[in-house]
Amino acid sequence: MKYFFWGVLISLVFIRYFSSKPTYHDGDKLRVSGVVCQEPSRFSYQQKISLATLSVYLPKYPEVYYGDKIVVEGVVQKGELQNARLVLKEEEKGALSGLRKSLVGFFQRSLPEPHAALVAGISLGAKGSLPKDFWDNLTKTGTAHVVVASGMNVSLVASFLLGVLVLFLNRKKALFLALVGIWAYTAISGFEAPIIRAAVMGSIAFSAQEMGRVYSAWRALVFTGLILLIIFPDWLTDLGFILSFVATASILVFQKSMDKFFSFFPRLVRGDFSTTLAAQIGVSPILFVTFGQFNLLSPLINVLVLWTIPIITVLGIVGGVVGLLVPFLGRSILFLSYPLTTWFITVVRLFG
Amino acid sequence: MKGSKYIFGLLILVLTLIGLSIGNSPDANLHLIACDVGQGDGILATYKNVQVLIDGGPGDGILECLSRHIPFWDRELELVVLTHPQLDHYGGLIEVFRRYKVNTFLANGLDSSASSYQALKNAVGGSGARVLTPQEGMVLRIGMIYLDILSPSQRLLTQEASNSQTNVLGAFSSKRDPNEFSVVAILRLGEFEALLTGDIGPSEISEILSSGKVRDVEYIKIPHHGSKNGLTLKLLETSSPEIAVISVGKNSYGHPSEETLRMLKEAGVRTLRTDEEGDIEVISDGLSFWTN
Repeated sequence: MKYFFWGVLISLVFIRYFSSKPTYHDGDKLRVSGVVCQEPSRFSYQQKISLATLSVYLPKYPEVYYGDKIVVEGVVQKGELQNARLVLKEEEKGALSGLRKSLVGFFQRSLPEPHAALVAGISLGAKGSLPKDFWDNLTKTGTAHVVVASGMNVSLVASFLLGVLVLFLNRKKALFLALVGIWAYTAISGFEAPIIRAAVMGSIAFSAQEMGRVYSAWRALVFTGLILLIIFPDWLTDLGFILSFVATASILVFQKSMDKFFSFFPRLVRGDFSTTLAAQIGVSPILFVTFGQFNLLSPLINVLVLWTIPIITVLGIVGGVVGLLVPFLGRSILFLSYPLTTWFITVVRLFG
Repeated sequence: MKGSKYIFGLLILVLTLIGLSIGNSPDANLHLIACDVGQGDGILATYKNVQVLIDGGPGDGILECLSRHIPFWDRELELVVLTHPQLDHYGGLIEVFRRYKVNTFLANGLDSSASSYQALKNAVGGSGARVLTPQEGMVLRIGMIYLDILSPSQRLLTQEASNSQTNVLGAFSSKRDPNEFSVVAILRLGEFEALLTGDIGPSEISEILSSGKVRDVEYIKIPHHGSKNGLTLKLLETSSPEIAVISVGKNSYGHPSEETLRMLKEAGVRTLRTDEEGDIEVISDGLSFWTN
């Protein structure tokens, strides 16, 4: 019965994947309309948008943002829409994507580059504005995962909210509000695939905890993954989704034994170190195959920088939200992250 | 106590921040930096807490240059100059206006129909910067830095923009090459003078020379990325610079040209190129100058 249940789920994923895949042929002239559901990547002269499984390169201006409804025309060529032309753009008026845009804007007005982009990347997963050479350094050192919206941000926001809320409310209400917080955060960071996955899993975990059930993280992870793939079949080939899925899975499998193995390490850094190393076991082969580069020092570099991530996330979100109301105060909070981003950037440049 | 860990951490952050602020404090010299912005122009002048930016290069490269040379807490540029509305000079300014508080924007009223120029006009409009139209004979003082405007000439503006508003962006359009409207200025601190030439060509040069305002300077930014349709021997002789900077990147126009490079070599002028050196920083205390 149990196997039947999983079997049905897995088959559903494949049926959805193959039935929903639109078929284009090279040379097809297309007019595609849709909502931009991932923040476009910005380059010096261009922006890259993913729309209906196609990559669309448009001139840098006018800028397209996550949530905008757009219509583009072009010719299909190897999974790209070439000679693309923006026919129509309706801006998303939603409060949340507006909030994300304002937060990133506030970071950019308050901090120099690449500090602003790093804070935006770490706290909101908005990697759109990272300078190209800095991004190269991140990939070279195996630290790019920190600026890609990842499940780690979700558990951070959740535990931060929970920690603050239990000071004022009873546990049940605090948990409920924390769940609301997780989903608000998911929306702010642009409904990126890995964040949604982590948010769904986090929600299930919290709810299970509240209802007093023993929580099997493994099963929750696989279940969430399959359900998400049934809803969004094209994530099956989304590298970000695969990476964060595999990373979480290998943390679940290897983290405990890594921790034991490195028990001679000082406690301050051991948690980070064993977590990263565990994640790297699963992720490295994938990175090696897809990027063709793998840095032997990457676990060490991660240990050197990862401890700054929770602090930068909290300072970024709190500083940003406060800054939208009282700019001076928010900026002062953001400045506190400057020594940390300086450290991060120095380490990454040194090894990059 | 559990909270004390956080307070201790916060204290360390504050102390490091103070340390970094002191380490980043500006000295009492003029720094003139030709930013490595790729194919384009972007020149930053700083003196203590005052910054003047002349052009912003084609893209976001200028932001990194500003980050490298301005203390992190200073989010204000006292003056931004756009020599003329072409992408390799204004592209990066769009983000500059979104991210920095700009007090004054010195730019021609000449319009450009490019969508990115419309984006720049919106960014400037939203920033609250004061727009100022440059004109031959104008002298601006920003802190201790002076800027003498040599071009665009009165004649050109009367001819092309006689009935248009001043101190507004995109006030008029023209069939002429935008290069002809380039802002040319001498930036000076004490005895140190730098001639900044935008993208002017031989005919603008001879007009500027005939006004008699070009004098012996220490530094010249070679016109038009070293194009063969830029620097003239007459300009080089009149200005007799000791150091020449060519702001250039990978391009298909053949910048900088053999002729220009040879002219500089024969005149014995020390020539530095942003595509070879990266950011080129010249420092002056108002008496002498040196490179970094």
